[in-house]
Formats: sequence, C-alpha cells, structure tokens
Amino acid sequence: MRQPIIELSKVSKTYYLGETKVKAVDNVSLKIMPNEYLSILGSSGSGKSTLMYLIGLLESATFGKIYLNGQDISRMSDDKLSSLRNQTIGFVFQSFNLLNKLTVLENVMLPAAYLKSKANFDVKAKTMDLLNRFGLKDRQNFYPNKISGGQQQRVAIARALILNPKIILADEPTGNLDSRTGPEILKLIEDLRREFKTTIVMVTHEKDIAKRAQKRVYIKDGRVVKKYL
Amino acid sequence: MNQNKFIQLITNALTDFKKSKVRTILTSLGIMIGVLSVVLLIALGLGLKNYLSDQFESLGANIVIILPGNVFNKEAGPGGNFGRGFAGGAQFESLGANIVIILPGNVFNKEAGPGGNFGRGFAGGAHFDEKDYLALKKIPEADYVVPGFTKSGVTIEYRKAKRLGTIMGTNTQAPKLFNFKIESGKFFTESDIDRRSKKVALGWDLANNLFADRPETALNKTIKAGDERLQVIGVIEKRGDPEIDQGVFIPYTTTFGSLNPDKTFFNFALGTIDKENVEALKTAAKATLLKRYDDEDFTVTEQTEILSTVNQVFTIVNAILVAIGSISLIVGGIGIMNIMYAAVTERTKEVGIRRAIGATQKDILWQFLTEALVLSFLGGLVGLLLAGAIVLIVRNFFPAEINLVAVLIALSVSSGIGIFFGVFPANRAAKLPPIEAIRYE
Repeated sequence: MRQPIIELSKVSKTYYLGETKVKAVDNVSLKIMPNEYLSILGSSGSGKSTLMYLIGLLESATFGKIYLNGQDISRMSDDKLSSLRNQTIGFVFQSFNLLNKLTVLENVMLPAAYLKSKANFDVKAKTMDLLNRFGLKDRQNFYPNKISGGQQQRVAIARALILNPKIILADEPTGNLDSRTGPEILKLIEDLRREFKTTIVMVTHEKDIAKRAQKRVYIKDGRVVKKYL
Repeated sequence: MNQNKFIQLITNALTDFKKSKVRTILTSLGIMIGVLSVVLLIALGLGLKNYLSDQFESLGANIVIILPGNVFNKEAGPGGNFGRGFAGGAQFESLGANIVIILPGNVFNKEAGPGGNFGRGFAGGAHFDEKDYLALKKIPEADYVVPGFTKSGVTIEYRKAKRLGTIMGTNTQAPKLFNFKIESGKFFTESDIDRRSKKVALGWDLANNLFADRPETALNKTIKAGDERLQVIGVIEKRGDPEIDQGVFIPYTTTFGSLNPDKTFFNFALGTIDKENVEALKTAAKATLLKRYDDEDFTVTEQTEILSTVNQVFTIVNAILVAIGSISLIVGGIGIMNIMYAAVTERTKEVGIRRAIGATQKDILWQFLTEALVLSFLGGLVGLLLAGAIVLIVRNFFPAEINLVAVLIALSVSSGIGIFFGVFPANRAAKLPPIEAIRYE
C-alpha cells in the first residue's frame, strides 16, 4: 500500500479567545495520497483554513498527530519545519501575500533565499521559465501592486512552484479574483498538478470549486462531516 | 550564517531603507547625534589634555596651576591662564638643568586624590618671601633659584596704546633656567636687582602690540604699569606661550612697592645641572621650608609629577565627558528600538509570508537585527564624519584631536547599541506565530 503524503490522526486545535475556548479543529483524521487533488469545503469560520494551516506546518496541533511522509511533525524543530515548508510545500493564498517592496521576479525567487544549501538548479532560469509560461515575462520588474489580481495570483503560484514542492496548499485561491480570472487560475493549478505530479489541497467555501477535486472533505464546526449542508 | 548571506541581508536592509528614506534618517539621527557628541567630547577633551601636556613640557612645571576663573582668557589664547605663575618657556632638556618647583600649599595631598588640593593649596598655602629665597639659595645642590612673583591682567601703557600684560618679578637666572633668549636689548642685571631699578624686558607680543608691530623700537622707551613707570631694556624672543609673550619681566626687588606691597613670591623654581641631584635638591628644599612652614603649606614637586597629576585629572574629566555623551547614544539606541518595534508590528504580515515560504525564526531574527545594525552603523558613520568636519573647523581656535581609538570606539559602540537595542524587536519578530502573522492585516 502506498504511504499517504500527509496523514492527520485525531487532530484537534484549540484557541483561546480571551477566556473563551474555541475548538477550531475537532478530532479530524485524514489521509492525503501523493498527487491527490483534495478540496476542503466549509463555510466561513468552519475551521477549514485552520485545518489547511495544520497541514501546511504553519500551525501545531493541540491534540493528535500529523505525519508528513510518515514522519511525526510534532517532534520537529522550527528549523526543520521551516525547511519542510520551504521545499515540500507551496502556499497559494486568497490575498496573494506577495511582498510589495520586491519585484515580481524577486518575489518568485524569494523561497530560494531560505534554502539551507545551494539549489541544485538555476533558480533564476527557472523563475524566468515560470514567468514566461504564466505570461508574466514583461512584468518581471514590476512591483506586485502595479499588476492585476490575476497576474498577482499567477506570481504567487510561480513562487509556490519555484522549489518543486510535493504539495500545493491553496486557500481560497480565487476568492479575490473576478469570475473570468478565477477559473483560469484553477485550471492553471490543475494543469500543474498533472505536469509536476504535485498533491493539491484546496480550501474553498464554493461547492462548484470543490467539485473539481478528486476528493472532497466537508468541514463544519471543526469536524469532518459526511455531507456539506 | 555564511558571508554571502550576511551581505545579502545587508543589501536587503539597504533596499528596505531606500523605500523609507525619511524614517531611516530620523531613526539614525539619534545614534548620529550620540556618536557626534561622544566623538566631539573625546576630541575636545583629548585636545585640551594634549595641549596642556605640551604646555607643561615646554613651560616647566611650576606653572601648573589650575587657577579659578578665566581659563580661556581671550587675550591669552587657549589655556593661557593655566600657566599663571611664572617660569618662562623652559626647555629643561636643552638646558640640561633639572628643575624643582616650590609651590604654596600641599597640592599633592594624597588623601584628597588626584588634583584634590589644586586651588586650595594655592589659596590657603604659604606666602613665600625674600627670607625663603635667601634660605633656598644656600642649598648646595641648587644651581638656580628663581623666585616668581606674578601679577596678571595688569594694564600696560605706552602713550595711547594699552594692553593687558603679566608682571613677572624674578631674578637674573630666569632666562637661563627657562631658556629664553633676548631678541633685542638685554635682560636686567644683578645690580638692577640691588638698586631696585625700574628696568624691564618685555614679552614679544606685548612689545609688538604696544609698539605698533615694531617690537625692536620698544628699547629705552618708558611704559606704564599701574602706577609704575618702567624703562624697557630688552625684548624676549617670541615663545608661542601667551604667558611669556605677554610678560613684563622685572627685578623682583622692584616689585616690592606698589606692585607687590606684601613682598611675597608666588613660587620658586629651583634648578640643578646634574640630574642625579634632583632628589637631594627636593629633600633639601623641603627641609629648608619646613623650618618656617607646615608640611601642608607648600609643595615641592617636579614637572613630571605635575604632568602626571594633570593627566590623571584629565583622564577623569574625559571619562565624565564620555559618560555624558553616552547618554545621548543610549537615547539614540532606544530610538532605534522604538522604531524597530513599530517596524515589526507594521511588517507582521511580511514576517508571516516569509515564514510560510520557509524562513526560520533565525532568518527573521537576523533580518531585523541586520537592519538595526546597519541603521546604527550608518548613523554612527555619519555622526563620525560630522564630528571630523567640526573638529577640523574647531581646530582653528581650540585644541581638538580625533584619534583612531575614539573612531573605533564610536563605530563599535554605535553598532553594539544597534545590536543591543535591535535584539528585542528582532526577537519579537522571530517569535511571531506564523499563522497569526500571515493573517495580520
């Protein structure tokens, strides 16, 4: 049997908002296989984003275990987790999260700055290749706030791909895009999955988008439920 | 962290600063002013100390005196009144004489610490007189005994010209002991002393000023000092020492009138040709004076002792100046910390993004620390350059010196302050939970 690339075992995440205890993720178990296309569907405040950040190693679980390629991440140091985020995971956010003080080119290359050893490929060449492919070559020296939302999201995707990650985590990637650009971005992500054999986890509150995935997980009040609404 | 990465961090920091120039300048301003004030204070303190040391070395030591009041007498030039007292431009080494100086009061009271009794000694000590002079002359090791009566700020007149000068009552050994040459005319003689004749030699500047830039014309002219009419018989070569250059050298006996009604001496300078005799001379001088005075009432010392005391005093003064200047450095550092804290809050989102794409806590820490370091280093550098420029200007009218040690200290302290005050905000940035940082709007 193939090993899941990510496995969540009875994971819970609890926050304190002042005195109030909030269970954002409650006893979730989940297996994500390599090259799988999974969508996590839930309404606002359902805990779906928290779940994604747990998968993305940005958040640690209060209870339960998270395994990445069979390894328990709760025992990993900050350096190790950062390194995994750097090389194994690519994030695509709803609000793009590009650094406005860096150019498009610099934004795409940024993850390489945090490599602990020198990249075994030409980062600049790969950046140019991705920008070219995403139709952003003539925008390489622009600052992100000078290009359109769709272009910004493509820059973010290029940044996510630069170090050949195994997993792309997309948090409402079309949320800030218009009805024409949104589907374009989705198609781009899906094409990349086929081409680079990456695993895709997409968080969304839109059923139509969730439907595009091979596998869907519905989240309500932090729990995995059988049916969405 | 390797060298390339550090250079990259510095480049990134500089790029960041370029995008917020005004804030960068304002932030560095505190450090800049701090470094400026520390370096300037060191430069002035050091300059003054060296200036005084030089003065002592060329003047001879009994001039030591830190008198109350007008230290920076404009007429006398910087440090002019430090040398009040009298001893001419002594260059002992060239003369081969070794000079022992006798001062009123116990200047080097050990219990009072360095410099403790300066001033008090002179104010409260013995008033030497001719009896002491004659007694000291009997010491076999004393090849020279030069009494000093000094009265400064005396108006010297020639016709309509008026200048402030210093009356210096002394004897015929003074030129030889203190090695000053008579440029024109001659110095008074023993018989002038015996006859209390009103013949004087003028310092070069005084002669030059009173006689319309032709000091040689002063000879045989009659000048007025207070109520006394005095005949100029000589002009002393220019020494570059305001005390001597403004001096009116007069037989000490002649001062025993309206100029010196109490018939006192301020000090004595004793010289011995053989260096080996210095200790014996000191001992003998002390023994002689102890017959009339208490130990507390006079000081027998050498140039080197006074010099080292003055150096000690100035080391302390400089330390205090630096401490005061350092306050502004610390304030500058706090300014940097304040701005860095604000920057961390403002850039929380950036921290979150960087963490998401793989930056470790250390990467973030170094990023902010480098910015603080570069800010304070640049501020320090600018402060240093400004201080250098100011010192170059100030040097024209006040002794000031920048030395390498001060420069290195200023730069390393300002960088150190950057690191010290940068660590806290940088650490806060590093410890931001990535998830909260990235959600921060």
